Amino acid sequence: MIAIQHVSMRLTAGGRPVTILDDVTLEIPSKQTVAVMGPSGSGKSTLLGLMAGLDRPTSGSIKLDGTEITSLSESRMAKFRRAKIGYIFQSFHLIPTLTALENVLVPLELAGNDSARAHAVELLQTVGLGNRIDHYPVQLSGGEQQRVAVARAFACRPPILLADEPTGNLDSQTGRHIMDLVFALHRDYGTTLVLVTHDQTIATLMHRVIAVRDGRIESDEILPGVSTQSESPL
Amino acid sequence: MFRMAWRETRGAWRHFLYFFVCIAVGVGALVGVSLFAAHVDRAVSTQAKGLLGGDLEIRSSHPLSAEGRAVLGSLDQRAITRTHVSELVAMAARSTKGSTAAQATQIVELKAVDSGYPLYGALKLEPSASLEHLLHPDLSRCQSGSCHGAVVQEALLLRMGLAVGDRLKIGTVEFLITGVVRLEPDRMANAFSLGPRVIISVAGLKASALLQPGSRVRERELLKLAPSLSLESLRAELRGRLAADHVRVSGYRDGQPQLKQFLEQLSRYLGLIGLTALFIGGLGVAMSIHAFMREKLKTIAILKTLGADSPLLIGAYVLQAIGLGLIGSVAGMLLGIVLQRVLPPLLAGAFVSDLLEQIGASTDLSAVSIGPLFKGGVLGLLTTLLFALWPLFRVREIAPAAIFRREIDPNSSGDPHTGSTWRGKLGLQDRFSVSTAGALVGGLAALAAWQAGSWRIGGWYIGGVALAILSLLGCARLLVWGLRRMPRPASLSLRYAMGNVLRPGGHTGGILVAIGISVMVIVTVSLVEQALLRQIGETRPIDAPTFFFIDLQPDQTAAFAKLIGAQTAGRTPEMTPLVRSRLHAVNGQEVKIEEERDQDERRDESKEERRKQWYLSREYVLTFLDQLPKGNEIVHGAWWRPGQRFAMPQVSVEEEAARSLGLEVGSRIDLDIQGASIRAEVSNIRKVDWGNFSTNFYMILSPGSLEGAPITYVATIRVDPDQEIPLQEAVVAAFPNVSAIHVGDVLRNFANVLDRLALAIRAVALFCVVSGGLVMAAALASTRYRRLYESVILKAVGATRGLIARSFAAEYALLGLIGGILAVGLSSALSWLLLTRVFDLTWRLHPMVLLIGLGCTVLLTLSVGLLSTFRILGQRPLAILRHE
Repeated sequence: MIAIQHVSMRLTAGGRPVTILDDVTLEIPSKQTVAVMGPSGSGKSTLLGLMAGLDRPTSGSIKLDGTEITSLSESRMAKFRRAKIGYIFQSFHLIPTLTALENVLVPLELAGNDSARAHAVELLQTVGLGNRIDHYPVQLSGGEQQRVAVARAFACRPPILLADEPTGNLDSQTGRHIMDLVFALHRDYGTTLVLVTHDQTIATLMHRVIAVRDGRIESDEILPGVSTQSESPL
Repeated sequence: MFRMAWRETRGAWRHFLYFFVCIAVGVGALVGVSLFAAHVDRAVSTQAKGLLGGDLEIRSSHPLSAEGRAVLGSLDQRAITRTHVSELVAMAARSTKGSTAAQATQIVELKAVDSGYPLYGALKLEPSASLEHLLHPDLSRCQSGSCHGAVVQEALLLRMGLAVGDRLKIGTVEFLITGVVRLEPDRMANAFSLGPRVIISVAGLKASALLQPGSRVRERELLKLAPSLSLESLRAELRGRLAADHVRVSGYRDGQPQLKQFLEQLSRYLGLIGLTALFIGGLGVAMSIHAFMREKLKTIAILKTLGADSPLLIGAYVLQAIGLGLIGSVAGMLLGIVLQRVLPPLLAGAFVSDLLEQIGASTDLSAVSIGPLFKGGVLGLLTTLLFALWPLFRVREIAPAAIFRREIDPNSSGDPHTGSTWRGKLGLQDRFSVSTAGALVGGLAALAAWQAGSWRIGGWYIGGVALAILSLLGCARLLVWGLRRMPRPASLSLRYAMGNVLRPGGHTGGILVAIGISVMVIVTVSLVEQALLRQIGETRPIDAPTFFFIDLQPDQTAAFAKLIGAQTAGRTPEMTPLVRSRLHAVNGQEVKIEEERDQDERRDESKEERRKQWYLSREYVLTFLDQLPKGNEIVHGAWWRPGQRFAMPQVSVEEEAARSLGLEVGSRIDLDIQGASIRAEVSNIRKVDWGNFSTNFYMILSPGSLEGAPITYVATIRVDPDQEIPLQEAVVAAFPNVSAIHVGDVLRNFANVLDRLALAIRAVALFCVVSGGLVMAAALASTRYRRLYESVILKAVGATRGLIARSFAAEYALLGLIGGILAVGLSSALSWLLLTRVFDLTWRLHPMVLLIGLGCTVLLTLSVGLLSTFRILGQRPLAILRHE
């Protein structure tokens, strides 16, 4: 469960203070799938990043499964992230010097998983890259890179998966494959899924859609008829 | 174009900071060395008369004959002032009771002067009275009838626990120490001073009975000419009139040739090390510009679509480089001014610093400073240009279409289609690049030749540098290739570190070259120094003598042997007779010593010719022996049998000397022994092991050949350390005219000089290391963005700051390790070359020096790396990833 209370984020850009998030309060129960939508610059990606502890809010509290993450030290936060959070970026963000397999291995090894390698190979097979595990990111297409990123995000079976426009850099067909994968893994592992997207089709597949504008929550609606147990609708 | 250059500089200060510092450090090293050299050179020139002691010096190793003295006497009517100086080595004994901790006896360099001394320059004395007054104190201050004063160097007082007012026994006379000499204008700048200076009067020397027939002495007659007289004609005249006395006549202008040559060589090689620092800095320039260009790909592409052509763009960037090079050079000049103030104190203790004080070399800037400053600035600017052009010409290859690429990968190694061939890899895909590369190498060679003042040395230097760079690059490639094929390490941080080192198109090659060359320079200096130190220390055989006792008179030998026997429980000293001589004729042809010729003229001669001149003109110390001495081996002819009689004296000649003089078995030589001539026939040729630390001779005569000549004996003896001081004191007490030369002290002296020299060289070499570190920092700065990006991804998937720091550390250590291994390997090769080719010494592996070098390299890369990237560790991921 993700509990966000009165979170604000203010930065200085070009010498002037800019408010990115303005007193956001939000609760996401476990296993829920949530789409966060909004125009560019509305603060949705920042909100997602703060949930992952990738930055600290200017004020407010963020609790993940009861742990207050805004007060964790940098290294405690890193360890917490290993155990609890998977993150998928719009532009994949694989480490260019590591092979596909090694990229997936990173979180596993950080968590001290003994059977890391076998597990990573299995994950890559799951995302359909069993035959490309020794390729470097530059040798993979965008869709393939994002599949590696998905495998990496799920490697430690995190209870929370955060995805920032995971299909934004992909063509629609590849994007659909990636979403299939994400939903399948959500179904298999019972992961809480928070997804920033511009794509209405994807949003309609979620339990809940939150619209953000100018750093505030504009609307928050539960969509009817989508069950967490359902087959992937795509 | 100017505005474009300025705008581009403004936006990329980070790259240009390194650019600027790299040039400044290199120029600083160069300017520092050249300023030092120029100032010393100026001082040597302005003080030339003081250094020689007069306008003309007539020097010989024996008192002049009556005819010679008459020639000198005739000069007095011709407006020529003259003064006589005798220099010799003697033993001083303490007669006043000093502290027991101090030595009772000490070898000194004695100088006896008359009232005219010095003709030029001034002695600095304490108390500041006239020398004449100090050397002839009032009779009331002495107990005995005669009263001789002595002015000594402070070192003597310290070593013997004496003070001004105490007494010192030299020879048979007790001298009253009346003052301390701080500065002596004409003390030969000699690396191997045997002991502290003691100045006495000619009368004092006569009274001391030190000068016996055949004693080792340097007699100097110093002349001061009235301005109307021609120095050259007088020198020629004296050479003619004093030919029979075998004197050396030199004018102040050609004085100190060895000193000048030494300083010239020292500054030349220091200058080349400085140039190396500058060239390493040039690498930093090239890397900074390369990184800058990579970031500017998009800008350049946009500018090209807007209608800017390559020449315009290159022009703007060249202008920018010149501007930065200029600022860097000016900063370097300032740095150099600071360095040249620091250099002399580093040389303290070595004779150079005494010399600097003696000639009053100042570190203040003056007219002579302009040349070195200007030269350093120009070298800095040209180096900047040469190294900047290479990466800048890549502007031509950037297609305007580059802006249409969605994202320009900062890690790609340029165009994919140029990377496949070796020409592509070296960037030599077209004629333009090839000619640029040629111009680059040619330009650097020209700079090196300019700095070295010789095309030959410049060529050797640039060839050596090129070879070092190529082998470093080759080895680096090979190692990287090998590492790629190794299984990936299990630890994540290690694997990430290795990935960074092995990254294709990365900065690894440049860093390795820069670090490798700089470490190579400094390790080579240490290796050569070690080898030289070992040569004088370790190769001393266990039975090498402790003492050389010189100037023993023939009638003293029996008593001397008895004394030694009593002091050392029955050991016998090895005593060898000595006679000084010069070569008069070889195979009937009279030897002509050509000392008038200029240094410059001599340089053009072959090494062989110079060697021959040296053998012709040197003084030969002769001996006669029954037996072939140990460490000698006959290579031609045969040694004489005991008791054998000859019609003509026989001579055994050392192999090298025989070859240079063109002597064979059966050749005849005429030797001049203080006026008397003897002719001898070469009966055999010997090979000598010069490193055996006993008395070795170029020429050994058959027994009986030297009867009647002024013979002295040299005695060698090996004693236990605890016997050394009692023995020396006993000998000085019994034989005041005999000097005891302690082999260990002489070697220590030499080692000390070597040490100081090496320190000075290392100080300049340190600039190379600083440059190397800067190049690495510049290279890392160009990967800053990439590192930042990757480290935040790692953080996003759960890596801690510690893990990222560890992996950075592992990467830098790995770089240091590879660079260090290559550098110590190369420096071993280079030191081998230097030792075997230049110094004629054997080479040996020095694992300790190499290990220290390797360790320091790793330390260097670690600290440079962590210092230039630690800020990355604290970055928060979100902002960075968002802006990607």
